[in-house]
Amino acid sequence: MLKKQILEQFQNLVGPENIDDSEVMTNAYAYNWCMELVNCMEEKEPIPFSPIPKAIILPSSVEEVQQIVKLCNKYHIQFKAQSTGLGPWNQPSSENCIILDLRRMNKIVKIDDKNLYAVVEPYVSGAQLQAETMKYDLTVHMPGAGPQVSPLASATSMNGPGFTSPHTGHSARNVLGVEWVLPDGEILRLGSTGLKNHPDWFSGDGPGPSLRGIMRGWAGAKSGIGVFTKVAFKLFPYPCSTKFKLKGISPNYEFEIPDFMKLYVMDCKNYKYLEKVFLAVEEEEISFICSHLSGYGLGAIFSNSIESLMDKIPIASTHAPLVIVIAARTSREFEYKQKVMNKIMAEFKLENIIGTKYTPNSLFYAEALRSNLGLHGFIATGGFQSSKGQCDSAPLCLNTTKMSIPLKKKYIKKGVIANDFGEGVWMTSYESGHYFHVESPTLFDQTTEKSVKGMAENMEENYQFDLIKHLGAPFFVEGDRMHDKFGPHMMDYHKWLRKIKKAFDPNGIADSGFYISAK
Amino acid sequence: MDEKEYQKMIKRCLRCSICKWIPQVQIKSQKYATACPAIDLYNYHPYSGGGKIILALALEMGRIKPSEELRDIVYKCTECGNCAIACKFLNTLEPLEIIMRLREKLVEAGCGPMPKQKAYTDAVKNVNNPYSEPHENRMKWLPDDIKIDPNAKLLYYIGCTSSYRRKEMAIAAARIMNAAGVAFRILQDEEYCCGSPILRTGEIHTFQEFLNKNVDIIESKGIETVVFSCAGCYDTFKVDYPLYRDYDFKVCHTVEFFNELLEAGKLKLTKEIPISATYHDPCHLGRNAERYEQWDGEEVKLIPLISINIPPKPKRTGKAGIYDPPRNILKKIPGLKFIEMERIREYAYCCGAGAGVKSAFPEMALNTAKIRIEEAEDTGADVILSACPFCSTNLQDGISESGSKLKYYDISELILMALGLEPEKLKHVLAEVA
Repeated sequence: MLKKQILEQFQNLVGPENIDDSEVMTNAYAYNWCMELVNCMEEKEPIPFSPIPKAIILPSSVEEVQQIVKLCNKYHIQFKAQSTGLGPWNQPSSENCIILDLRRMNKIVKIDDKNLYAVVEPYVSGAQLQAETMKYDLTVHMPGAGPQVSPLASATSMNGPGFTSPHTGHSARNVLGVEWVLPDGEILRLGSTGLKNHPDWFSGDGPGPSLRGIMRGWAGAKSGIGVFTKVAFKLFPYPCSTKFKLKGISPNYEFEIPDFMKLYVMDCKNYKYLEKVFLAVEEEEISFICSHLSGYGLGAIFSNSIESLMDKIPIASTHAPLVIVIAARTSREFEYKQKVMNKIMAEFKLENIIGTKYTPNSLFYAEALRSNLGLHGFIATGGFQSSKGQCDSAPLCLNTTKMSIPLKKKYIKKGVIANDFGEGVWMTSYESGHYFHVESPTLFDQTTEKSVKGMAENMEENYQFDLIKHLGAPFFVEGDRMHDKFGPHMMDYHKWLRKIKKAFDPNGIADSGFYISAK
Repeated sequence: MDEKEYQKMIKRCLRCSICKWIPQVQIKSQKYATACPAIDLYNYHPYSGGGKIILALALEMGRIKPSEELRDIVYKCTECGNCAIACKFLNTLEPLEIIMRLREKLVEAGCGPMPKQKAYTDAVKNVNNPYSEPHENRMKWLPDDIKIDPNAKLLYYIGCTSSYRRKEMAIAAARIMNAAGVAFRILQDEEYCCGSPILRTGEIHTFQEFLNKNVDIIESKGIETVVFSCAGCYDTFKVDYPLYRDYDFKVCHTVEFFNELLEAGKLKLTKEIPISATYHDPCHLGRNAERYEQWDGEEVKLIPLISINIPPKPKRTGKAGIYDPPRNILKKIPGLKFIEMERIREYAYCCGAGAGVKSAFPEMALNTAKIRIEEAEDTGADVILSACPFCSTNLQDGISESGSKLKYYDISELILMALGLEPEKLKHVLAEVA
């Protein structure tokens, strides 16, 4: 709880109904998905609750955020900002912290359909923004976490691969102008929003040196470097007709598949061959989706319940499948893309098992277009987290996958993680194969201590393995302990990160539990 | 939901916030993307379906105690079930059932329901209706010229709200049945509250008393079919009663029944009604009107840590809701132009009145109704229609409060007009209610 005198000052800023420091509210905000795993890795009790925040505050404008942050500095209270709030990264790392729930900041500020960007506040969801951009025949990048999460959070503060990454890129690469409340309460406007004359949102760089790298770096600071209150990011052409017709009742919707849309699943049998096919397809720059998943993952993206996975045995038994969705706006474009695919399949002697061995429900195509496929990782409604998170070349990503199988099998044998034969990965290309992402989604039981501890151990060993084998940094390198572990192996980047933290947050007010402290 | 399942489920919320939105693939605009009135109005995460699952877990773990603050959050929920539809698009949790169970636990702990809801419950116990109206006035809505057949096998169960507060619905339903030549009876002074208000505020034991009383009476009279014009009574009889006790009569809502009469040619809608209208799916008639299916399967470990139900355990996803009959009726009304809102059928936005909210939190009910009225207005329709007395009262309150030019009718009133029956009589009743 906050001291009465401090609480009153916050109340004066946002109104009494928009701050709450009660036991009920603060405990509810202490919960998050995978928090038991984080606690376990920090040798705490493996429960899904973080330290309890002092209060929850709901600002409605950048000015209110600024004043809140200044009050935090005055009273040496840390803050943690969250938008849609999925995942442990939204949690405070100490009890001397308030949570800024940015839910009331939910405006789409601008959709510039000529210059292909949108400006949004933190609590606009990906699906909301996409619904509006579809009215302009445009779409937006959404991370694998799903269309219900905040694209602002992904663009400014998280990693951000998604199923449509071949077409819509990567959150780090899409971010343009940014409005940023620094940890000392100053407002910084990045890129062209800082221009003296005609400020606008179209560029994230300049005037002067670009600060985009400092703002988010590889995987974002998770509110450890301030609060992002508006962001502009790129929009992309919607890949086909935006006519979107669904019939039936959830979840068994029937979708009228657009005229120029086709799914391919090819079983490449082994990783070496998969690499060649992956690169060949992506070199042609024709795919809307181009992902490799394990057999289980493949079954999951076509299933809407854990039971219906059972029907997917023909497809789940593939060895190195590649999932490709092509889509087009004209018949000519569609014909061209199909010709290219036919040529690649002929060259590599591969068959499309869609339409022969397996035909998915039409809903798959709707979910592909609305970026809902990543959520299928949750169909077991159980513990689920990824180790790995490499962003690199196709050979390295696949090498990581292959080399990690024995390690994963070790934990499968212990019975602490679900059996995906060690092959459980999701790999996508970014920007038509210019680079690639791989992560290793793993199911565990978040309700049993044995499984949580086993999964934590599995993640720790994976991190160590990545270091020893030079497989790059996973995307959950967060907090002092992890940065101190990886930094010395990576040109002492952690020392520079600390300097940034110290310069931007001299009082250490932005909670750094998932970033880095200035110590 | 039994205690074992409750304990299992409250540990599994992913905090993904899917419950705050209509199914993602159905989102058509930023404005009408949300699913839950409580989180829309009160913003803090615990007001959402997932947030209440977290509260349930925190309570079980002893991190929080039963308190007025906890109670207020748990009862600021219309139990509309939209969170459950969204969650079950992929997941296996039952947010609505967890909320209902959490309310039961608060009642057991002496912390629930809300004081105003307690007054309603006491009224049901004392005078068989939540409005504290004299039981002997229950049938006062009945005009002299309505033909009742005391030996009919079809029962029209009017319900407390239509009997005392929305008499125009009861009169319209009765006149339509007369017009179709359907022989029906009513229970007269043996009709009691269905128990819905007490069930949904967590007073499960009192609910069971009323359930037994009602089923005993209906079965003792050899009734074959019970017709309801109240979506709440219909849902309670259809979905909730069988969880405690089987019965041997059929149940249907007037929109189903009238649609059948129209299809059979027993009703002919001939009078032109030149309006443009939109339809609000009541939660009790739509997504929640789906029975629990008996499941005698077993949970089988597929691979370590992943179990599946064999055969698959049926999920209540709103698939058995009554969506098409009211729309079929509207299509048959000459001159009526029908326009859909964005949030319809299994993901329709709630009117805001349900589960004791109208009594305990009238401002929440009203503000929710205003959101729904705005959505109806955005269709360009002149009229909003529905088929539930709670929705009727609350949406009409929303129209008045927001100064909307929309008119509200129950679908049975519109049928009555399209039959060319004397709407003056109905107007008289409307004036009386107003």
